[in-house]
Amino acid sequence: MVDAFHSHIRASLADANLQSALDANAERRIKVRQIAFASLANPQELRRRAKLIRTEVIAHLDRYLEQFVAHASENGIVVHRATDAAEAIKIVLEIALQQSAKLIAKSKTMVSEELGLNHALESQGLRVIETDLGEYIVQLRGEAPSHIITPAVHLRRQDVGKLFEEKLGLPYTEDIGIMTNAARSALRQVFLDADIGISGVNFGVSETGTLCVVTNEGNGRMVTTLPRTHIALMGIERLLPSMDDLALMLSLLPRSATGQKLSVYTSLINSPRGANDPDGPQERHLILVDNGRTAVRESELREILYCIRCGACLNACPVFREIGGHAYVGRDGEASAYPGPIGSVVSPALFGQLEFGHLARSSSLCGACREACPVDIDLPKLLLKIRAGIGVNQNRNNAKPNAPAILAMGLGLFTVAATSPRRFAFAQWLVGLFGSLATLLAKGDPWMHLPAFSGWGYSKDFPRPATKTFRNRYFTQFKSALDEAEKLPIQSDPSASSITKIDILQNHAENLLQRFDDELVALGGKLSICPPGDVWQKILEILQAHNIHEILAWDETYLPDTLLEKLTEAGVKIIFPTGETIQTSSQVRAGLTGASAAIAETGSILVLGGPGRPLTASLLPEIHIALLREKDVYEQLGQVFQIEEIRRAPTAVLVSGPSRTADIEMTLTIGVHGPGELQVICVVDG
Amino acid sequence: MPSTVQLFVTCILDTLYPETGEAVVRVLERAGVKVSFPPEQTCCGQPAFNAGLRKQARKMAIQTIRAFEPYPGPVVVPSGSCAAMIRHSYAELFADDPNWLGRALTMAGRTYEFSEFLVDVLGVTDLGARFDGRLTYHSSCHLLRELGVDNQPRALLANVHDVDFVELPQTGECCGFGGVFSVEYPEISDAMLERKIASLETSGASMVVSCDSGCVTNINGGLHRKHKPQRAVHIAEILDKV
Repeated sequence: MVDAFHSHIRASLADANLQSALDANAERRIKVRQIAFASLANPQELRRRAKLIRTEVIAHLDRYLEQFVAHASENGIVVHRATDAAEAIKIVLEIALQQSAKLIAKSKTMVSEELGLNHALESQGLRVIETDLGEYIVQLRGEAPSHIITPAVHLRRQDVGKLFEEKLGLPYTEDIGIMTNAARSALRQVFLDADIGISGVNFGVSETGTLCVVTNEGNGRMVTTLPRTHIALMGIERLLPSMDDLALMLSLLPRSATGQKLSVYTSLINSPRGANDPDGPQERHLILVDNGRTAVRESELREILYCIRCGACLNACPVFREIGGHAYVGRDGEASAYPGPIGSVVSPALFGQLEFGHLARSSSLCGACREACPVDIDLPKLLLKIRAGIGVNQNRNNAKPNAPAILAMGLGLFTVAATSPRRFAFAQWLVGLFGSLATLLAKGDPWMHLPAFSGWGYSKDFPRPATKTFRNRYFTQFKSALDEAEKLPIQSDPSASSITKIDILQNHAENLLQRFDDELVALGGKLSICPPGDVWQKILEILQAHNIHEILAWDETYLPDTLLEKLTEAGVKIIFPTGETIQTSSQVRAGLTGASAAIAETGSILVLGGPGRPLTASLLPEIHIALLREKDVYEQLGQVFQIEEIRRAPTAVLVSGPSRTADIEMTLTIGVHGPGELQVICVVDG
Repeated sequence: MPSTVQLFVTCILDTLYPETGEAVVRVLERAGVKVSFPPEQTCCGQPAFNAGLRKQARKMAIQTIRAFEPYPGPVVVPSGSCAAMIRHSYAELFADDPNWLGRALTMAGRTYEFSEFLVDVLGVTDLGARFDGRLTYHSSCHLLRELGVDNQPRALLANVHDVDFVELPQTGECCGFGGVFSVEYPEISDAMLERKIASLETSGASMVVSCDSGCVTNINGGLHRKHKPQRAVHIAEILDKV
């Protein structure tokens, strides 16, 4: 028994606010995940392949790491290796010192929570601001995230309303839109002023050295684009061999995490700002964090390294639903950065069975976590290994089963009984006798009211054991009667199951533009179709509707001929934004970019960075207008990943609708840090 | 078509619910097979395995393997989690023990859960059972997610005459039993059971059927303590009523 854990459990169960927040989370998240997976033709096959990919990477991690580091370095990313938390923190501090940094803007990274990075940086006098809305809320409250995807899942809107009133001076409101706006305003200046941006990495791609960062609000793009230095933190296990593998994983990660086909922003980061690039950070650092992972890889818990941190197991877990993320505390009462089923394996695996092994016992082994896992990690099996002391504490090599002493004693006695039929029958006779006595005392009640300390008696009665066991009955009277039993005619049920033909993604080659339109609209974006000659008028129309007279725009090389001229003639001021003008660019309300491709399946567009193509044009304004050619609409993500420029651009971003959040009560709010409006204009000939 | 099956009645049915064990035998006999009861059987070892006590679990697993080895034919287990223990966890338990691994896998290969055996092996779905009332079905965790058995008990229940079958909301959600979990973390177990009971009340059924007597004990224990009129029942009890 671990007292700190038990008291956290009791506190969670008694907290009505928390209970209703957790119920709402589980119900909503399970439903949206199921809906999202229904759009895949064969999710089980995808899952199988995803597990194969992760198995391959972890099996040959050294090779993939070497390849990844080589490519990332060639691309100009400064790669660091940290064996433990102290080393990782030291590297960040050294970079901060070199840069004379004062302000650090962070997008959500669980690795940094694992390292305790914020605290370490703050103690050195640095100002560190979390910019994911949920994470910002918990940081203002002085708390840790309670969920790896939705950090403020334990809070209701009233809690946030009170917090913002106290900390931001926002008049108390329960309007989530107003609260989100307040956070947007407060954080915009942080993005613009930050000396360093810190992000996590969802996946690293070995064949290209690409860092894939997935966010919805746009804060991930901000911290990886605006500050002059970007530091990416990544667990060494988060690699994928190829861009094809990334396409597969991206079909599973957002669906599992938030029920989206793709997150709003999927950034593919290749390099820092090049000599001719208009914006982007001058320096990109990547810190590859081991912190116990190599030891786990060599242990019987290796499979836990397949995890892609989607949080689906937390949402599916009936125990998480009851106790919430903050209850997953170690022996010392400090919560692990990783709660839920995944955390109950990761925490003891990385930080020791003695400290966190009890978490693995707080599971009914119902298997809902494994069922939800997009890479099919056998979480119940791993929880059982930890209970048995297998795989944990490799370095000390002394882990033992962690069953409470009284349970171990009871089961020890049971084992003595159950390893001999004679002793077993005797034990049954004793139990039966006890049952008869109890019945006698309870005047015939077939139920026993056990005391609460027994565990069972806390809320349940126990049936009185039979005076005569099955085996007794079978051998004395029952068997002879059965020999006479009549037989029924047997009916056969030849329902031969046909093997479904494997069709990974729904295949609809036609109507690509129409399907892209449907998906984009569902995400809250807008599509207009117009001939080349009318594009300027369409843009003007959008600007006039918002009373806007200036626009951030890409260089004319990347836009239709004479478009910028026509807009200028119409009185629109054209601004080419750069990394040096972010403070003023941030005031401009509209941005005009090209879109190199669109994906019908997900409603996404591909926006590339590089010379003449400032990233900030699609990031800073309220309204993002993107020009797309009809021939560039593709069916699937995997096809778009074949486009060579994705690998050459300093950063490529897949944009799926306007920026959004659901961090407060899972209520969808459009327009957080990135544009709140996305207008795609498809240019068609004739 | 096997003519004789070896019944592994499980320690819970043996000790707490002998009548259910008898119902299992009658149903199997009605479906056309002879039932034999290897007398050396005790417990599959799951409680110790789930507690992390593998040494003890191995001893009980060896006892079980030995108990059934002399008797040919399929082993039928009226419990999803005990069947899953033998089918999946014995391999894990003896992974490093080549002497026993083969024997454990042989045992796993001939073990079936009760409803699975009736439908998939015997091809029986209508046992002529009759139940006049409203029933619902709780999909037990290990049966559903480890053995993938769900259509089989549903097919058996659908063919019960006169029955008014209703779906249990969130039927695949754990009832909060989890063996040692329910005594180590009784508060969480209770909260999970509360949700199961609420689902049962929503369904309007007076009885919830399960293929696992662990779930039956857990759900009934809570229903009785909380003075609820509904009851959980093992599927064999329903199929036994003609």
